[in-house]
Amino acid sequence: MSDRHYEPEPALAATAVGGTVDLGVEEAETPKKRPAGPDGPAPQDRPRSLWSDAWRDLRRNPVFIVSGLVILFLVLIALWPSAIASRSPLDCDLSKAQEGSQAGHPFGFDGQGCDVYTRTVHGARTSVAVGVLATLGVAVLGSVLGALAGFFGGIWDSILSRITDVFFAIPVVLGGLVLLSVITSDTVWPVIGFIVLLGWPQLSRIARGAVITAKQHDYVQAARALGASNSRLMLRHIAPNAVAPVIVVATISLGTYIALEATLSYLGVGLKPPSVSWGIDISAASPYVRNAPHALLWPSGALAITVLAFIMLGDAVRDALDPKLR
Amino acid sequence: MRGAMHARWAACAVAVALAATACGSGDSGSSDAGAVLSASWGDPQKPLEPANTNEVQGGKVLDMIFRGLKRYDPETGEAKDMLAEKIETSDSQTFTITIKDGWTFSDGEKVTARSFVDAWNYGASLKNHQRNSYFFRYIEGYDKVHPEDGGKQSADTLSGLEVVDDRTFTVELTQKFSSFPDTLGYNAFAPLPRAFFDDHDAWVKKPIGNGPYLVDSYTRGSQMDLRTWADYPGPDTARNGGVDLKVYTDNNTAYTDLMAGNLDLVDDVPAAQLKNVRNDLGDRYLNSPAGILQTLAFPYYDDAWNKPGAEKVRKGLSMAIDRKQITDTIFHKTRTPATDWTSPVLGEDGGFRDGLCGESCAYKPDKAKKLIEEGGGLPGGRVTITFNADTGSHREWVNAVCNSINNALDDERACTANPVGTFADFRNRITGHKMSGPFRAGWQMDYPLIQNFLQPLYYTNASSNDGKWSDKEFDGLVDRANQETDTAKAVALFQQAQEVVRDHMAAIPLWYQNGSAGWSERLSAVKLNPFSVPVYEQIKVS
Repeated sequence: MSDRHYEPEPALAATAVGGTVDLGVEEAETPKKRPAGPDGPAPQDRPRSLWSDAWRDLRRNPVFIVSGLVILFLVLIALWPSAIASRSPLDCDLSKAQEGSQAGHPFGFDGQGCDVYTRTVHGARTSVAVGVLATLGVAVLGSVLGALAGFFGGIWDSILSRITDVFFAIPVVLGGLVLLSVITSDTVWPVIGFIVLLGWPQLSRIARGAVITAKQHDYVQAARALGASNSRLMLRHIAPNAVAPVIVVATISLGTYIALEATLSYLGVGLKPPSVSWGIDISAASPYVRNAPHALLWPSGALAITVLAFIMLGDAVRDALDPKLR
Repeated sequence: MRGAMHARWAACAVAVALAATACGSGDSGSSDAGAVLSASWGDPQKPLEPANTNEVQGGKVLDMIFRGLKRYDPETGEAKDMLAEKIETSDSQTFTITIKDGWTFSDGEKVTARSFVDAWNYGASLKNHQRNSYFFRYIEGYDKVHPEDGGKQSADTLSGLEVVDDRTFTVELTQKFSSFPDTLGYNAFAPLPRAFFDDHDAWVKKPIGNGPYLVDSYTRGSQMDLRTWADYPGPDTARNGGVDLKVYTDNNTAYTDLMAGNLDLVDDVPAAQLKNVRNDLGDRYLNSPAGILQTLAFPYYDDAWNKPGAEKVRKGLSMAIDRKQITDTIFHKTRTPATDWTSPVLGEDGGFRDGLCGESCAYKPDKAKKLIEEGGGLPGGRVTITFNADTGSHREWVNAVCNSINNALDDERACTANPVGTFADFRNRITGHKMSGPFRAGWQMDYPLIQNFLQPLYYTNASSNDGKWSDKEFDGLVDRANQETDTAKAVALFQQAQEVVRDHMAAIPLWYQNGSAGWSERLSAVKLNPFSVPVYEQIKVS
């Protein structure tokens, strides 16, 4: 996967080598990408970096704009849920159980008489928190381990590769049921820890592949010949050229981690009440679907939109960082 | 009486398998006596040895393949003679039991006095590790066969059991126990054929009994097929060709299968479907009172719940629970708020006393808050209710109870629900004394006597006294009640004992549970007995 995704030196690709293949593809599929503008002509004179190139693509990509706005909104309500839902998600009145939409309660009530709107809004916090923190953990742990293995190679590389094989063999949901069912904490940390534990091998493989490709390049060999230390080689020459695929995969994974959290919570081993989570609400509402479908549909819809937004964002970022795939 | 009966812990609305007999009312219809029905079920915990089965699902099968000395009437729950011709005693301590002639096991062996004595000796013996062995603990010689202090077993058979002739044996108890004959309908007292002892492994694979059904095949985790025994000598012959028990791990799935026509009978209608069940099934739905009481028990081995003043906290919690709202909304009135620690199925004469709990079981949020404060507050400021999430609809009501407590105390995080994945794990944690707060305790009676609702649960060190509650006054009253030969006086003493339970709020009574069943258009004459188990042998299939 890493090899296919990875384009080692976009700067070079855009200038010297990049002539035939890339130009052909871009002209055929995205003619709008080559406008006559201030930075349009003479790319040979002023090579753009991978990042400014990607940003230029992203700004014009409607998929990125829509998913970005959705995510921005999600992050805002995750930070300040009470701005749009002032009640407490734990404030439930059983006498209103399963009632539909009414004044002040646009989404109606669930089987316990809790306000579905309030719970759906507050559920964004856990989902975003789990998604972002787990992705950070996975990205940091996975890319550091993967980069070290790829850079130094040898025995450590073999050991790490076998370890990742072991982790890849663990079925995610089954592993979650086994590991998380023994933990009684009602915070988000066990779930985040579990996702990091099972998620890092994927990132470490990608980082390893990217580093191995990058370190074979002439400029790295040259820097090494000039006496650059390992840390300088890694940080200055290899990392900037190996980080793109890591970012792409991490962004796409973020959405799947949110879905995984909901899955685990649905199964009763992820977050536990009184935590508020879409997975918990979906699980609680599913037996009542015939009588109170709204209690199921709102949190499910929120979950679907959130996961979709992150996956679409990841797609857009991948397209921008790896034009060859288009 | 020191020995305590063990009742089955009701995993959900499903109940024990003490289905009862009722002999033919002679009605006719277009039913096919050879047709087989399918019914919802769960895997039994243990192999189907009668003295080793103390849970609902295994008991269901035992009840179909075994008949004991007594049998509980499916309508009234009254213990009636089945294999017993007569049970005589002059002092309520030594009993002479005569069994009827003409009974055989399905392999042709005659049921004799020896069949009972051997079975009871096997059940009592320590080395056989039978879960129901404490059922025999008031038979003379139990302390040698099953020393409870960890000592060595010094006898293989109970000295209190003696075979007189083929059809007669005597039982000597260590103390008076006037209602002993009424307990003999419980499956622990079933007779066993020689095949059980001679080739135990083969028996366990395919049990041989003396009931109206035979085990045809069993695949664990999937299905058990039972077929009618054509030569069954008893009066309660099955009116169908057999029952296929299908394993479900979620009552919602079973209900969906019933609606889809893949299943004929569910004996646990999920709470979430109670609103629709009348619409879905019309008169093919039954909801009837059963001997089940849901309570919240407390860990008295934890000092936080056993210190002076803690009873005020427990009473406060009880008064913070809006039972009526929960039974109305979550259970659609298929449960009745409890006002004592027994069950209405006992009847007033049997010891049920409506309103005994009084104010302590009424919803009074203000007083609840005050009482909890007077009692020193919740331990650590929080309370966690532990329950098993795999069966019934416990999650729904535990959440509702917590919300009710939180609303009463004006504290959103005062109470939290703590689900445990499986019933077996839940029971393991309870018996391992790992509870730190109240836990769900669903008591399913073994036999319809008030003694069964009190002694096993609250007597010092009793078999199902999971919270290790102990009170000398209560113990004394129970001892006196057991020795009392006059039933009315015994019941009065048990009620006094119950008042002690109330004054300490040893456990919080929640509601009396009903049994429920729904069935397909193929079935008729579906009934639930007072233990809430379908009376399978009476079901007709068309």
